[in-house]
Amino acid sequence: MKYWRRLPEFEYLAPNTIEGVCSLLEEKNGNAKIIAGGTVLLARWKESLGVSQYLIGLKKVSNLSYVNFDEEKGLSIGAMATHGVISNSPIVKEKFNLLARACGGLGTPQIRSMGTIGGNLCSRFPTAEVIPPLIALAAKVKIVNNNEARIMPVEVLSKESLKAQLLTEIQVPSLPSESGGAYLKYTIREATDYPTVNVAVLLTLDNKKCKDIKIVIGAVGPFPFRAKKAEGVLQGNPIDEKIIGAVAQAVWEESYPSSDIYFSAEYKKELIKVLTRRAIKQAWEKAQKAYA
Amino acid sequence: MQQIIELTVNGETYSIETEPRRTLLEVLRENLGLTGAKEGCGKGDCGHCTILIDGNPVYSCLTLAVEMEGKDIVTIEGLAEGEKLHPIQQAFVDYGAIQCGFCTPGMILSAKGLLDKNPNPTEAEIKEAISGNLCRCTGYVKIIESIKEALIKIGG
Repeated sequence: MKYWRRLPEFEYLAPNTIEGVCSLLEEKNGNAKIIAGGTVLLARWKESLGVSQYLIGLKKVSNLSYVNFDEEKGLSIGAMATHGVISNSPIVKEKFNLLARACGGLGTPQIRSMGTIGGNLCSRFPTAEVIPPLIALAAKVKIVNNNEARIMPVEVLSKESLKAQLLTEIQVPSLPSESGGAYLKYTIREATDYPTVNVAVLLTLDNKKCKDIKIVIGAVGPFPFRAKKAEGVLQGNPIDEKIIGAVAQAVWEESYPSSDIYFSAEYKKELIKVLTRRAIKQAWEKAQKAYA
Repeated sequence: MQQIIELTVNGETYSIETEPRRTLLEVLRENLGLTGAKEGCGKGDCGHCTILIDGNPVYSCLTLAVEMEGKDIVTIEGLAEGEKLHPIQQAFVDYGAIQCGFCTPGMILSAKGLLDKNPNPTEAEIKEAISGNLCRCTGYVKIIESIKEALIKIGG
C-alpha cells in the first residue's frame, strides 16, 4: 500500500550482535536493508525508493559506536558512531582534524546527532563528506558477511556491492609527525546543503620538503578521486606559494565536473582550484607546527 | 504489524501500540497528542519536527518510533512548569521572536540543546545551533536576540 508522505509497510528487525545482522542478511536473501542513523534511508523510503520487505536496525547492536585511539594502531571508529560524537572527540580533533571538520560541518546539528559515519560511507552519495578525508588519511574499512570479515582501503566502496554485507569499522592509521591535513568545501548555504565541491588534503613534510601529499576531490564525480597528477607536482619538492599554485592548476586540469542547475562545469573547476590551494596552505601550516 | 513500545516523553513513560513504519513525529502527534512538533517537509530539511533525544536535537520525522525505547525524549510541551514558561520560551515571547509560530517549538528546542551543553555560546555558535531550523517569517534576528537574552537569564 502506498501512503502519501508516509513510510511504506515493512518488517523491522533489531538484532543485538553483528553476527545476528549477518545471519539475517543472508537469510532474507536480498530482501532486507539496513538502517543506521536513518536520515538517508527514511527520506528515500518515504519516496518509495529502495524499499525492501525487511529493515534491519543497528541501534541495538552492542559495541558499534566507539571512537578509540591507540598510538600504534591508530584510530578505530565503529560504523554507528555519529558525526556529532566524532567531531567532538578530543582525539579526532587533535590528531585527525580534517575528519573532525568533515563530520562537524555536514548537514545540520540534527543530522549530526542522528547520522553515522558508516551510513555516510554507504550512502552512495557523490557528495558523502567523510569519504575524501578518509581517503586522504589512507583509512580502511572492515566489511563483514556471514562467511568472512575483510579489511580493505576505503576506496573499495566505489566498487564493492554492499548487498548482504555490513560495514562495521573504520580504521585510520596514526599519522607520521610533521603531517597536517585540511578539509574544505563549497556549499550554497552554510548548513543543510550537500557540497558543490569538497577537497581533502593530507601533507607530510620531511626537512621542509613535501614527503607525501594526498589531494582528494569529492562531489564532482560518482566517487571522490585522488588528483594523482597534481600530487606528483608537489611530491618530493620544497613548498612555496608558487608550487602550491601549480598544484592547484594541475588539479584544475585533472577535474571533469559536470554542470548542474546551479553551477557550470567551468565554475566548479575554479572552485576546485581555489579550495585545493587553500587546503594545501592550511595543511602546510599545520604540518609545520611541531607534532608533539 | 502492530507492536507495543514504551516511550519516555518529558519524564513520563507511555505504552504505545504502533507499527514499525510510524515515525516518532507521527507517534508524538497522533498517539500522544503532543502537537508541538510539526511536519514541515517530512524529510529533514526544515527542522519543524525537532525534538531532543538524550539532550541532542533530532528530526523526529526521520526517526522510527520503535527505535526510541529507552531514550529520554523531550518535546516543547516538556519545557514549561505549569504556567511558568522556560526562560527560552519567555525570551521568545518578550523579544517578539514568534510570528506564525510554526518553527518556534523546534527553534526553542535546538536552543535548549545548545544552552544545556554550552551555557555561554558565541553568536556564531547560536547561529550554528539553529542552522537546522528554518523560519520563513522573522528573518532570524529576533530569534537570535531572544536566545542571547535567555542565556543571560539562565546564568551564562
